[in-house]
Formats: sequence, C-alpha cells, structure tokens
Amino acid sequence: MINRNVEKVLPLVQKPARYTGGELNSVVKDKDSVDLRYAFCFPDSYEIGMSHLGMKILYSIANEREDCWCERVFAPWVDMEEQMRKNNIPLFALESGDSIKDFDILGFTLQYELSYTNVLNMLDLAGIPVRASERTSLTPIVFAGGPCACNPEPMADFIDLFVLGEGEEVNNEILDLLKECKKSGASKKEFLVRASRIGGVYVPSLYDVEYNEDFTLKSVTATEGAPEKVTKRIISDLDKVYYPKTFIVPFIDVVHDRVVQEIFRGCIRGCRFCQAGFIYRPIREKQPDTINCQAKILCDVTGYDEISLSSLSTSDYTHLSELLDKMLSWTIDEKINVALPSLRVDNFSDELMEKLKKVRKSGLTFAPEAGTQRLRDAINKNVTEEEVLNTSRMSFEGGWTAVKLYFMLGLPTETFEDVAGIPALAQKVVDEYYKCENRVKGKGVNVNISVSTFVPKPFTPFQWDAQDTMETVIEKQNYLISCVPSKKIGVSYHHVDTSFMEAVFARGDRRLGNVIEQAWKNGCKFDGWDDQFKFETWLEAFRNCSVEPEFYANRKREYDEILPWDHLDFGVRKQFLINESEKARKSETTPHCRIKCAGCGTNKLNGGKCDALSQNMV
Amino acid sequence: MRLVRIWFDKTGEAKYISHLDLMRCFTRAIRRARIPLWYTEGFNPHPYMQFSLPLSLGMQSVCESVDIRIEGEMSDEDMLSALKEVMPMGIDVKKITEPKFDPKYIAYGDFYITFKDVPDKAKMLKILSDVFAADRLIVEKLGKKGRHKVMKEINLKEHIRHSYVKETETDVIVNLILPAGSTTNINPSLFSDKIIEIYGENMAVDILRNRLLLENMKEFK
Repeated sequence: MINRNVEKVLPLVQKPARYTGGELNSVVKDKDSVDLRYAFCFPDSYEIGMSHLGMKILYSIANEREDCWCERVFAPWVDMEEQMRKNNIPLFALESGDSIKDFDILGFTLQYELSYTNVLNMLDLAGIPVRASERTSLTPIVFAGGPCACNPEPMADFIDLFVLGEGEEVNNEILDLLKECKKSGASKKEFLVRASRIGGVYVPSLYDVEYNEDFTLKSVTATEGAPEKVTKRIISDLDKVYYPKTFIVPFIDVVHDRVVQEIFRGCIRGCRFCQAGFIYRPIREKQPDTINCQAKILCDVTGYDEISLSSLSTSDYTHLSELLDKMLSWTIDEKINVALPSLRVDNFSDELMEKLKKVRKSGLTFAPEAGTQRLRDAINKNVTEEEVLNTSRMSFEGGWTAVKLYFMLGLPTETFEDVAGIPALAQKVVDEYYKCENRVKGKGVNVNISVSTFVPKPFTPFQWDAQDTMETVIEKQNYLISCVPSKKIGVSYHHVDTSFMEAVFARGDRRLGNVIEQAWKNGCKFDGWDDQFKFETWLEAFRNCSVEPEFYANRKREYDEILPWDHLDFGVRKQFLINESEKARKSETTPHCRIKCAGCGTNKLNGGKCDALSQNMV
Repeated sequence: MRLVRIWFDKTGEAKYISHLDLMRCFTRAIRRARIPLWYTEGFNPHPYMQFSLPLSLGMQSVCESVDIRIEGEMSDEDMLSALKEVMPMGIDVKKITEPKFDPKYIAYGDFYITFKDVPDKAKMLKILSDVFAADRLIVEKLGKKGRHKVMKEINLKEHIRHSYVKETETDVIVNLILPAGSTTNINPSLFSDKIIEIYGENMAVDILRNRLLLENMKEFK
C-alpha cells in the first residue's frame, strides 16, 4: 500500500516496484487487530533481500501469529533515499506503507559485515536514534541476527539484543515477552534483563568490557544475572519445524527468484577457512518426503519454474539420489528446473550427472579453493587434483564447455608456489578438455577462475590468523595473472580493500562502534557495492577515532588471548579449533564427519545427536 | 492448440510493473492457474505469449491484452475464473476472447492525461486552449539515427488525432488520441511533460490508456 507522499517521488526513481509492495502472497493485516508490529529489516537493496531464505521463513512464522503483523523493509537505493530525505518521507514498511518509527520491534539480519552502515542509515531514515542507549522507551526494540551475529561486538552500540543461531523458535519467545512487557508497562531495561534469560539471546548492554593497554581484551563481565556464556539456538528436528507454505513472488527480477528448499543444516567437511561450516553445526538432515512435498506446494502457489536445493554442500546429502528421483517424477512434466548449487568435486557421480542433464543445463562451478595439494590439505579442503580433473572430464563428456573454479588468495601458510598452482590447475582442466574425445565438436573451452581474498572469521581454526596485508594480496594477484598460460582461462578477483574491511569487522570489538557511526555520518553506506564503497572515508573515520584497522585485520593472535566473541558459545570447542589450527601448520587433514567424528562438540547442542554420526556412510 | 486473448486492466500500484516484469508475472500466474500452455518444440521449450502493445512504466490502462497458445481442454470461462484467483493486486483479468485482429494493425492509442491538484486551473486551461489552437507544439524525443540515439524535435500537433479537455474540482483531464503501435508511437508523457514545462511548476500526472484503435479508428479487439 503506497502512501501519497511516496507516490509523488516514485516517478523520479529507478525500479519503483522496489517500494510499492503488493506482491503476490505478501501479508496484509488489520493493524488495529494486532498487538505487535514487527519490521523485518534487510540492510541491503530489495533485490538482495528478497532472495534471502531466512527472511521468507521468519516473516512467515511471525505472520502465523494472530497477534503480530510482520512487514518487510529494505534499504532504499541511493536515488530513493535522496528523494525521501528531500521530501521528509520516513522509512516505511512495504505491506502497510506505514513509517516504522512507531513499530514495536525492528529485526535486522546481518548477512555480511559490509552492511553495517546500512543498518544505521535505515534507523536514521526511520527517525529512530541509531544508538541503543539513546532509545530509552520500551519500543521500538531493535534486534539482530544472522551469521555476523556470531561476533556482534562492532554493532553492540546500536542493537538492543542479538539472536545467536537459528531464529525459528527464539523469535517467537522474544515477541511473547515483548507483548507481555508492553501490557504490563515494563521498562526497556526490565525487558532486556528478562530477554537475556531466553536461550540464544545476547544483550550487549548487560556485559561490561575492559581492555588492556595494548587494546586487547582484559575481561568481559556479565551483569544483572545475564548468562556468562550465551549459547546459540538450533532447531532439533528439521522435519517438524515450520517451513513457509507460500513465498512472496516479486514483480521485479531479484537475484534468486525461485523456490528454495533447505535439505540439511550444518556441514560434515570442516574446511578450516569456512565459518559457515562450523557455526551451523551440528548436521541435521531433512527427509526427502518433507522436502519434496514442501517444494511441490511452493511451486503450486508461486508459479515458479525453478527449485533450488539449499545447503552448504548439496552432494553430501545422504538421500540426494532418492530425493532427485522423487522430484524429477513431477518437475519434468511441469517443466520445472531443479538447481543443485554447492556440488563437490569428490563425490560427483555419473549417476548424478545423468540426473543433472535431465534438468536444464546451467553452469558448473567447483571450488578447489587452493592451487596446490599442500595448501588444500592445510585448509582441509580434502579434494585432490585428480578429483578436480575427473569431474571436469565427466562434465566435458556430458556436454559442458565451461567450468568455473573458485579459489582464495591469502590463506594461512600460502606461498607464491601455491599462488602459481592456481592457473596451473586451471590449465590442466583446459588440457583435460582437449584430451576428451566426446567433447562438444567445434567449440572451445572456457575455464573461469574466480579468486577472492581470504578473510579470517570467528569460530574457525583460522580465527587467530593474520590476514595478508593489502600490499601482499595485490602482489599475489599480479603474480597469479602473470602465470596464466592461456586465453582460455579467465580470471576475476575482488578488490582487496573490501576484503580488508570485512576482516576488520569480522573479528572486531566494541571500539569499532564509533568508527562505524562516523563513517556512516560521512556518507558510507552500501559498502558491499563497489560503486558505493568509499575506502578513503572509512580510513579517515579510523584515524579520527584513533583506531588502527590493522590491529583487527593483520595481527596474529595468541591462543590465550581473550577474543571478542569468547563469551558466545556456538557449540564448537575452542580446543578443537586449536587442534585444527595446529594441524593446518603441518598440512595435516581431518577426515570428514561421516568417516570419523572429529569431536567438534556441537552435538551437545542437539542432545548429543548428530546426523553425520547416526548414518554410517563411508 | 488454440490462440486466446486475455484482456486485463493494469491500474493502481501495478502501474509500476515494467513490461519485462509483467511478462514474467503472467507466465507465473498462468502456471498457478494451471492453464495448459502450449510450449515450443525444441531444445529449450518456452510458451508462446504476445502482448498487444507494451505499456510504459508508470501508466495505467484498461485495455491491455496478451495472446497465449494453449493445448488441451479448458474453457474460456474456467480459464478466466482460475486466472482471477491468482493475479496480483492491480492486474484484473476481465475477459478471454478469440483474437479478432493482429496486434500489428494497432495504429492509435486513446489516452486520458490527468493533471492532479492543479494549483491554478484557469492558467492550465488557458495554456491548453492556446496549445490546441496553435499549429505547432515542438517537443524533443529520443530517436535513433542509424545505430546512435539522438534527440529529435517533433511537432506533436501533427500527431494528435483528437483532443478534448475537461475539469473536475481539483484536476484537469485531457483526452488525446495519439499514434501507437509498431510504426509510429508517440508517448503521451511527451505532451504532459511539455505542458508542465510551459506551466512552470511540477505536479502529479496520471496517464491512463483507455482504448487501442486500428487505422480506421475502430477498436482493437
């Protein structure tokens, strides 16, 4: 529902349908018949936010409640923001068109560090003070979750409470408590103290932080009876947990515009650079029947012609073959494409290839991550060169002529020899194509290598490691390009300055709050967008706040240093991470969880249960 | 296999749906309605779908149509009620007919241009009567010269086939018939932008496409 003021500016902005709401399956309720108005805020553009599965789930769950109306809010693009500020239009929710200033609760999802300034900008556009301490009344409560909440300290000044882990249950508990506190006229402080008793809720204002003279942490102390360690929440049974029966169908083209079906949570692999591989443990699989039925219902109500199976590593799903058989039995007739992202090269079977060919042919992407076996072992990727080449050959025989390979630069223990290994491996893939007699005739091969810069992340074995300096990364990038032997190999890489900023915030502490606020005041927003990112403005903010970004990005930590996220428990034992880190230095691998349990400790979150253990698949 | 023409209005918030997005929106709606679409043979099967004449972003219309090919048995009535169930707000399917004319014979559009909340209606009416009395109304239009895009000057007066002005308490409404279709196409916003430029003050403008006409001024059916 567009209000009249918004309507006036819509002809002046690009893609006005970003701001109109009214999409199929969006939820409109009577605002006078609900107790809670909840704004689900995604701190990026409509096209990015509408692609996000977590939002679809949590939006639907909140709207299942009769007492609550959950609406969507996205960061207006810069042209719209300009019009909104010029015409005094406060940030509004898409379903009602109402300003979110008077909502009861605002929930932000923190998917990537470079969206932090957008959180501040959205609060400000709504006319809400950005600092939590300046919001004194009970409502609106501003909370946040998502993967970045595993080290929420840089955002601690702005957010009232963080949700750690999966939100399906805990969000409802927070809404229940807020409803009760609103009725009883409780203060914001009373609400926050009581909320801190809910499992998975971290209220940063209830923790005192002290620093040493060298700015490392001295202590983090819980007050007001808040738990010393906050443990993340997980959903125990994915077959029983709520899954949306409808998806909103956007009018405009969004990044991922299709039905998404989660097939499992967690990951058995334990790649040492990968935060997702650790913070989403333990492994919990969904049954093929559940997935298939839910996918069918969603296709019927949305009219989508594509289903994407979502997980960290699709081919590690134990029932993949059975699931594909079930799905293909109706999707082929209905001309629906089943997309399988995140395939691994080491268990890509002929049988899987045959099934893939029945659905539409899309690009094939594999992630060897590193160019030499030594480094792949150090990061525990557990993929051999032979497996990469085998899979490439199979795809070429299957009719593919292009392969995309993902790599990282700046991994711990990396040498220039490892860097040269990247184009060398790509060349071997090219050679494999020309060795293949059944290749597509009359067509050349394209091997695209995409090289990103490694960012050390909390709750990984590399959480103590220094990120390569920007100078070193640039030197490695140039060296890599100089080693590319053939025009059949394309190279793309990321800007180092954004990776540097990610590294700063990923392992940052509360001293970064001032920096974020100042950078935002000086115009930083949409930092994840190359055309909006203002590195100089960021550096100036660091200087003005007397904070050295290198302290966070490029400094090696000792194992006994208190880390900013040590008072948060994601289930992974610290000693396990230390052992993994030590093995990395020796290029020793750890077998994946189905071969042998490595003892990460996360099964305690699920009453000792882990689907990687119960199914003995070798 | 048979060809059917689906007639619909595109009003309210739906005016912000671009032509490309509308095509996607219909494809999905037809799937939801379980209408048995006919797909092309070949490597990458796709349905046949042709809109009569694309509508500019921001304009409303009560005369839109799209042709689709279907196979199998489904009556027009069943299709209509199934579609009505699944369309998003602002896109209202009105009827389903057998196509009478090919969209390529569309020659004119009949538009209502509403200047909303006009600050000085007398001034606006004077401007309009002067404009309609004059021989020339020169506007700039982005045109093509070979492969390049260039600004071209055109005399709108040569293109206006019919005009009529009326007023309400707050608004001034102009009814225009302008060339529309694949050979010549004059966007009515060229007219409204020019009038606002002469008036010298910005105001909200609503443009509604009311009818599509053939060369002989008969209605496109």
